Amino acid sequence: AAFPAPYVKAQSQIKWRLQTYAGAALAEHVIKPSIDAFNKVANGQMVIELYYADQLVPTGELFRAMQRGTIDAVQSDDDSIAAPVDVSVFGGYFPFGTRYSLDVPVLFNQYGLKEIWEEAYGEVENVTWLSAGAWDPCHFNTVEPIRSLEDLKGKRVFTFPTAGKFLSRFGVVPVTLPWEDIEVAVQTGELDGIAWSGITEDYTVGWADVTNYFLTNNISGAWCGSYFANSERWNELPDHLKELFRLCMDSSHYYRQHWYWGGEAHLRTQGTKLELTSIPEEEWKTVEDEALKFWDEIAAQSPRSAKVVKILKEYNAVMKKAGPPYRYS
Amino acid sequence: MPKPIRVFVKYVDAVNRVVGHFAMYLIFLLIGVLFYSTISKTFFDPSLWTLEMAQFGMAAYYLLGGGYSMQTDSHVRMDLLYGRWSKRTQATVDAVTILFLIFYIGLLLFGGISSTQYALQYGEESYSAWAPKMAPIKIVMCIGIMLMLLQVLATFFRNLAEALGKPIE
Amino acid sequence: MSYELIAILMFSTMMLMLLTGQRVFGAIGFVAVIFALFLWGDGGAEMAFSASMKLMKWYPLLTLPLFIYMGYMLSESGIADDLYRMFHVWMGSLHGGLAIGTIGLMVAISAMNGLSVAGMAIGATIALPELLRRGYDKIMVTGVIQAGSSLGILVPPSVVLVLYGMIARQPIGQLWLAGVFPGLMMAALFILYIVVRCRLQPKLGPPLAKEERQVSWAVKFRLLQAGILPLLIFFFMTGLFLMGITSLVESSAVGAVSATLAALLRRRLTRRVIHDTVRKTLGVSCMFMWIILAALAFGAVFDGLGAVRAIENFFVGRLGLGPWEILIMMQLSYILMGMFLDDTAMLVIVAPLYVPLVGALGFDLVWYGVLYTITCQIAYMTPPFGYNLFLMRAMAPPEISLGDIYRSIIPFVLVMVFGLGLVTAFPEIALWLPNLHYGR
Ligand code: NA
Ligand code: NA
Repeated sequence: AAFPAPYVKAQSQIKWRLQTYAGAALAEHVIKPSIDAFNKVANGQMVIELYYADQLVPTGELFRAMQRGTIDAVQSDDDSIAAPVDVSVFGGYFPFGTRYSLDVPVLFNQYGLKEIWEEAYGEVENVTWLSAGAWDPCHFNTVEPIRSLEDLKGKRVFTFPTAGKFLSRFGVVPVTLPWEDIEVAVQTGELDGIAWSGITEDYTVGWADVTNYFLTNNISGAWCGSYFANSERWNELPDHLKELFRLCMDSSHYYRQHWYWGGEAHLRTQGTKLELTSIPEEEWKTVEDEALKFWDEIAAQSPRSAKVVKILKEYNAVMKKAGPPYRYS
Repeated sequence: MPKPIRVFVKYVDAVNRVVGHFAMYLIFLLIGVLFYSTISKTFFDPSLWTLEMAQFGMAAYYLLGGGYSMQTDSHVRMDLLYGRWSKRTQATVDAVTILFLIFYIGLLLFGGISSTQYALQYGEESYSAWAPKMAPIKIVMCIGIMLMLLQVLATFFRNLAEALGKPIE
Repeated sequence: MSYELIAILMFSTMMLMLLTGQRVFGAIGFVAVIFALFLWGDGGAEMAFSASMKLMKWYPLLTLPLFIYMGYMLSESGIADDLYRMFHVWMGSLHGGLAIGTIGLMVAISAMNGLSVAGMAIGATIALPELLRRGYDKIMVTGVIQAGSSLGILVPPSVVLVLYGMIARQPIGQLWLAGVFPGLMMAALFILYIVVRCRLQPKLGPPLAKEERQVSWAVKFRLLQAGILPLLIFFFMTGLFLMGITSLVESSAVGAVSATLAALLRRRLTRRVIHDTVRKTLGVSCMFMWIILAALAFGAVFDGLGAVRAIENFFVGRLGLGPWEILIMMQLSYILMGMFLDDTAMLVIVAPLYVPLVGALGFDLVWYGVLYTITCQIAYMTPPFGYNLFLMRAMAPPEISLGDIYRSIIPFVLVMVFGLGLVTAFPEIALWLPNLHYGR
């Protein structure tokens, strides 16, 4: 992929390397438009060079690399980059933590998760957490169909660490590989499927070409992912560029809201590559019940985790009580 | 060469020979883990640790084996010019260019130590569901790189001695 | 510093370092760290180690040491001796027949292993002494073994096609099947060359003496049994993988276990054999892995300093060429670079630059994988730098000089370039089988 930012010789130009968790095909939607916009508006005063999953630094080393300044900024969920904070389990897909993508910004802006995240990352040297956003429900897409919980047993699936730990209770074998290798890994038999995204992403990044089935039951309604920066590099920025970067993060969050929302419905109804299957609601209920136990185990890990779990419970209770359009059951 | 240097070379050779022999047989760990994975997947349920374990094994294998591979001169060179020089000229040029190699391995080790420190400080776990601690494998990797660095230094002394016309041993 | 300048500086410094004759991994690694240190900014010093974590996560690389182990185990197991005897008896009466038989042997070995190391080891230890003893021309047979063993990366299984597949994100199964006919065609071209050459100069490949030729048909057919074990190994390793029963890395472990069992079955699995096998495996694996480690760092630094953009601009913008012209330019630059640059490093550094461009130009990336592999085969044996050359030097008997080795490859390289031309002009040679099997 070509970078639109022209190379400018000016000495004063600020240059950032930002690496995202997403591979090129997905990044085309979830981050590139906002970075292109940033570069355009910054007008040569600052240039952000966007790099994709594992491109410069392997995902496992990404947090560390940002701390050292090898990478200036990162877009990822806390879980995938194994961020060294207790709340990182809530990044990515915390099982059944959310239902809609708007749940995430509400939780952060109105229910206090923002302050909790700031506090947690405040304890980590030289990394600043900037903003969380959401998109994308978590579903299985697999080579063989899943029609009952029994079918989950023994499936080698690419998924998030925390979701993987949870799913292994149902016999799923979670496998972690570099994001860009997933499509080929399904073909080389290292994976039987993927529990990483909704159907929009499956089609966009080519996973729909190597799998046959899409399970409509979801594990979580919205991915929760963040932007981070090396603290020194962030603090060096003049105020107007900080503000511009914030606008740019928000624009990326917003793009995803409509891109995924529309995409999920469109591809479930019009898509031809994946056949939809479902696990009956009453059977899936066992998974949801198990999740509540899992929540309590996580809550026991630290007072801060307990606080987050408490907030999640309160929030979901409010949503349920509010009724449609928040919750229908 | 002064005695301490000769002793250094001798001990580095000896240590890497031992570690190298250990590393050689790690191949059976790789074969074993992946073969177990095949069997367990075909007849029972797959395990969630096999692939990652094999990856750790591979890292230990070539890094711990590095020093010994250096000792046995297993690494390719482009010998368009090099091949035509006398042994002594080769040693003289090597004695200079190996400094670049030392520099590279040195930085590799620097990065390794820095990454290991992080792993220890934050109790880093692998970003997988199995989530093993990362410090042990990183320490093993650093040991391998360290041994490689020592062997490269020993090779440097050998080249230098040869260039001066007084080869070691 | 402009991106173009960085690209040029990084490559030219690497060439210069390589010319000094220092170990390839050191030359590449040094360039990576020195540029990272001076041009990256904060944290650049971490790039070298970061590559080791990348390497660790690159799971297809697990197949590399296992295939190397398997190759050496096969050469010790005695399977190759039987196979060689089979080809020897069946082909021996022809002019150049033993050389033709050796190509047959190499195809069989290639079908059991994913690298050229196995073929080189077997060719140099089993075939070469026999050929020399029977008065074959040493230059011709040296070439036969190098060219024949290079089929190891084209005939499935193939490690090069696996690594290419990971870089190009193409299905390994299709790539392997795409290698079948080009591999067989290449073998046929080699045989054709040997036949014609020995017809013109019969003294290069004398037929077997009469008494050696007088073998009853019963014995001849019994010798065919030598093919059973290789077929079984091929089935367990490549067959089960293509059927989706074993995964890729598992299939290489199955191969390693099969080769060990074969040696055990033939009572060749002594402690010494095991030790020699693991010792040689470690040497060759380390050679590859340390180069890949350095090349990954080089690639990431090259990318992070923006030099990749210079390459894109060069091919697409600056030159203003059409797709075919760009493709041919790339192939030429590969062969040229392949002469001086290490081939594995080339895969890790250059393929990620070219492959996306090739895809964007609308070419079939499975087909291109085959072209790429044939180019690698050529690079493996063209001086001054090539793995087969290197291994040949290490394994050849003393009467074969460096000059002999260099001269030996000329006709075969020409044959391979011709083969490359054929696959380029007629993509069906590569694509027919995968299209049939996968109904693409
Ligand atoms: Na092969
Ligand atoms: Na070459």
